Amino acid sequence: MTEYFGTTVADIFNTMPKRFKPAEAKDVDITIGYEATGEGGGKWKATIKNGTLKVETVEGELTGCKTTVHADAEIFVGVTLGKIGAIDALSSQKLRVAGDPKLLMLLLPKIFIPYEAPVKKPDKITARTIIATLAERFRPEKAEGVTMAIGYDIAGDGGGQWTIEIRDGKCAVREGLVDPLTVKLTMAADVYTGMMLGTLEAVTAFTSGQVRIDGDMMAAGATAKFFRKYEVPGATEAEELLCLRVTNAIDQRFATGPVMGRWFSGLREKKFLANRCPECGRTQIPPREVCAWCHVRVLDFVEVGPKGTVTNFDIVHFASPDPLTGAVRDTPYAPVYVVLDGSSEQEAFAMEIKKEDIPRLTVGARVRPVWAEKTTGSYRDVIGFELDI
Amino acid sequence: MKMHKRNRNVAIIGIGQTSLSSHKEDQNQVEMVQEAVLRALDDAGLKIGEIDCIVHGNMELFEMQFAPDLWHSLGTGAYGKDEYRITTGGTTGATLVCAADNLVASGLYDTVLAIGMEKLQEGNTTGGITNMADPLWFRNLQTGALTGTTAQEMIDEFGEERAKRAAMRYRIMMDKHAMLNPRAHRRFGLEYEQAADLMANSPQLVGELRLIHMCSQSDGAAAMIFTSEEKAKAGTKHPPVWVRDHIQVHREETIPNLFGFTKPEMTHRYAARTLFARNGIQNPVDYFDVFEMYDPSAWWAMDWLREFLLLSGDEHLRMLEAGDFDLDGRLPINPSGGVIASNPIGATAMLRPAEAALQIRGDAGGHQIKKEVRHALASGFGGTFWTALMILEKELGWQEVNHD
Repeated sequence: MTEYFGTTVADIFNTMPKRFKPAEAKDVDITIGYEATGEGGGKWKATIKNGTLKVETVEGELTGCKTTVHADAEIFVGVTLGKIGAIDALSSQKLRVAGDPKLLMLLLPKIFIPYEAPVKKPDKITARTIIATLAERFRPEKAEGVTMAIGYDIAGDGGGQWTIEIRDGKCAVREGLVDPLTVKLTMAADVYTGMMLGTLEAVTAFTSGQVRIDGDMMAAGATAKFFRKYEVPGATEAEELLCLRVTNAIDQRFATGPVMGRWFSGLREKKFLANRCPECGRTQIPPREVCAWCHVRVLDFVEVGPKGTVTNFDIVHFASPDPLTGAVRDTPYAPVYVVLDGSSEQEAFAMEIKKEDIPRLTVGARVRPVWAEKTTGSYRDVIGFELDI
Repeated sequence: MKMHKRNRNVAIIGIGQTSLSSHKEDQNQVEMVQEAVLRALDDAGLKIGEIDCIVHGNMELFEMQFAPDLWHSLGTGAYGKDEYRITTGGTTGATLVCAADNLVASGLYDTVLAIGMEKLQEGNTTGGITNMADPLWFRNLQTGALTGTTAQEMIDEFGEERAKRAAMRYRIMMDKHAMLNPRAHRRFGLEYEQAADLMANSPQLVGELRLIHMCSQSDGAAAMIFTSEEKAKAGTKHPPVWVRDHIQVHREETIPNLFGFTKPEMTHRYAARTLFARNGIQNPVDYFDVFEMYDPSAWWAMDWLREFLLLSGDEHLRMLEAGDFDLDGRLPINPSGGVIASNPIGATAMLRPAEAALQIRGDAGGHQIKKEVRHALASGFGGTFWTALMILEKELGWQEVNHD
């Protein structure tokens, strides 16, 4: 039978019963006829009634069908696989529907699991054969000081369970999952091979839920750099595309000016000094050189706080680097927005809340600042806020 | 704000985009830019010699390459030409379009080529955004563009179930649009029946902002060619699309300022209100046939629709729930799949008017809206709350209303 996009029209119909979702179809009563013309084509009839499906091939005329679909075999396969846009095919009349096309677009995705072309394994590369090469692809210089156990739970053909242990600049691969694991990755075998062979982007696989990560998400992301890229044995090398690696580190110094300078010297005295607009009277915190509303210089300072009320907060699970130190933050952490006592009500001020207080954090909570032991007139003078209970 | 009447009308006559992906290691920045430029020139049926001026933009902090317009000049075609460089963060692409529009409308140049690009894989996006914050205060708290506050506010206002459903429905709708756009970067094939699963299981980034809600990081470039009404009327390869008006505004003081007991009017609403008023557009939902919105996350998108379309209460949720924002709904949002699907930052905000113009021309391809598109709205977003908003028209002859 002629193949298009790696599969046949017949396979689409042969797999229909397997892909059928009876629970979704219990109120459906319809017979749909299909005519795929040209090489590898044919006629089929799908009868759906009371949550059952009957698929049959048809010789001669398609009769007794509420809706019929007609297309060239290649278009038929392409549209089914999403390789050819259904809307394109419909509007260009390459795909014709007699009856209600909307019904098909709404009904079929509901009652059938989408068809996928059978996976063909080139050269029998399986998750197992790739995992077997991990130890020899290990780059000890990249894993200096790293100790972790990464578990792989790979389902399906060529899959299995493995633990990759990295310790003291060495890498060991063993069958089965140890306890505890730094991180466990669960996925189907073809997802793993796809990522390793470069046909599936890791981020796409993860974001779309094809890879499940239990444990340290950042560790999972870091593993790739500990190994050289997997290369298919005997594959001819593509044109060499080199990337240059550069790390910039810039030591910066910013003048604070007299207004922000006053704020920082206030911090040194463990005081929050806002400046108050002579026109509208609002307090600004941190102080700003002018009032953007009134377009005047703001030179009068007033002490606000030190306690305040939480107006909003962010509980961050994404381990972003602290830009001032480069260190990856310990998650979760939470910047809170606080209106300090005595401030104008639109003047929120942001700092992190003490980690232990995160579970009890609410909008409206009262907080107080936590000062550094030794204040020097910098942003480091306020460590953050804590609940004032 | 005083806005002067246009000196002359400006037409978009050429549009070029590269494919968008997270890895473009097969070409360097110069080659990537050139790909977009050649496509725009081909689309316009012009040669580089017919371009009078070039505007170039990206977010240079991301690639840490100073004055990239110099490095890129053989790709942009700027050698020996007048060129301006613009960088306004996420808004860059839209600012480029506004600037090109102004350069032609003013009469200073007849034909202007605008180019926006980004190769995020060559730098560090979160690092770049962090360095954008006021260096004296708040850098220590910056986490890139990630925040869960909008999610929490929507949950507080509309209830957890309805708010989460709305954000996820919007996300899946964008993916369905992206599936129809072969140029889009992230195309997952999501189905609405996966909503509950994704709502519960997609990894949390910040509060209820989950990985699935957030835009991608993409590499890519876009280029657009603008010309005067006189030149456009002398003949173009494709029908010209007219730039009716644009507004570009920011109202930043400090980021925490957005979270006091009382909040400032969001810049998006201020921009929309001002732009529609001076163009005599009473009801944007009825007037526009498509809105290409800069939507960095599904939560922001839902929240911002209310601001841009001057809606109140839960009108935006009701419209979403009724399918009004679907590809063939009452006011389709982001047929391209939006920023959620593809985000090459310096090009992202240019892709909004570029995609809107393709819709007006009827050349969008798989994601073309079925009904005729005559009036389009496109937005850009960047910085903390920096807004660019522009109106594109299929035909000249709109009512000049109020430019004071």
